[in-house]
Amino acid sequence: MPAEELSGLTDYSPDGVDLTLIRWMLSLTPAERLQVAEQSVNDILAMREWNARS
Amino acid sequence: MPEVRYVATLRELNDGGVDFILVGGLAAVLNGAPVNTFDVDIVHSRDPRNVHRLLKVLEQLDAVFRIQPERRLRPNASHASCAGRLNLMTRYGPLDVLGTIGKDLGFSELIPHSLELEIRPGLRVRVLDLDTLIAIKEELNGDKDRAVLPILRRILEEKRKRPN
Repeated sequence: MPAEELSGLTDYSPDGVDLTLIRWMLSLTPAERLQVAEQSVNDILAMREWNARS
Repeated sequence: MPEVRYVATLRELNDGGVDFILVGGLAAVLNGAPVNTFDVDIVHSRDPRNVHRLLKVLEQLDAVFRIQPERRLRPNASHASCAGRLNLMTRYGPLDVLGTIGKDLGFSELIPHSLELEIRPGLRVRVLDLDTLIAIKEELNGDKDRAVLPILRRILEEKRKRPN
């Protein structure tokens, strides 16, 4: 599939912000946003630790 | 590095009766920003009674200055009463306790620019609003602030498009 065919399937602002990601976050409750952030940071820390060991 | 537990930190502060406003990256997340942040940033009331309550919670959280964690330097009332920044490590992860942010904006100046959000049943925290987050980041104009500004501005646009 040529890349042009994906043009209508993404939504970026002129300064490169992924608006689909923003809309997804805004669809969550504050509690869910916090959960996403907490989980992602712990996943990042776990990956860092794993890589430091190997 | 302990497991990062934002909610547990905020719950301890809340249960300890500490008057504070959540600012920084986590405030951006709660306002809808899809960004990662590793620490909890708060601006606290520097009223002596609140400083006392804060120190009690910091003790429960086993908070020490991050600069030389091996020395286990603990914050005291004098540290928590000034306008500066306490970069601490707690048993729930990094916590930055700020006397002021931006151009000397303390707790009482920021209260009108904050909103209360429920982050767990019965747990409500005061969070800096999006307009003020943007204004402060524009004012600071550091690399880190400039990086997140386009995201915050787009959230503001998206929110304005949405019905209340």
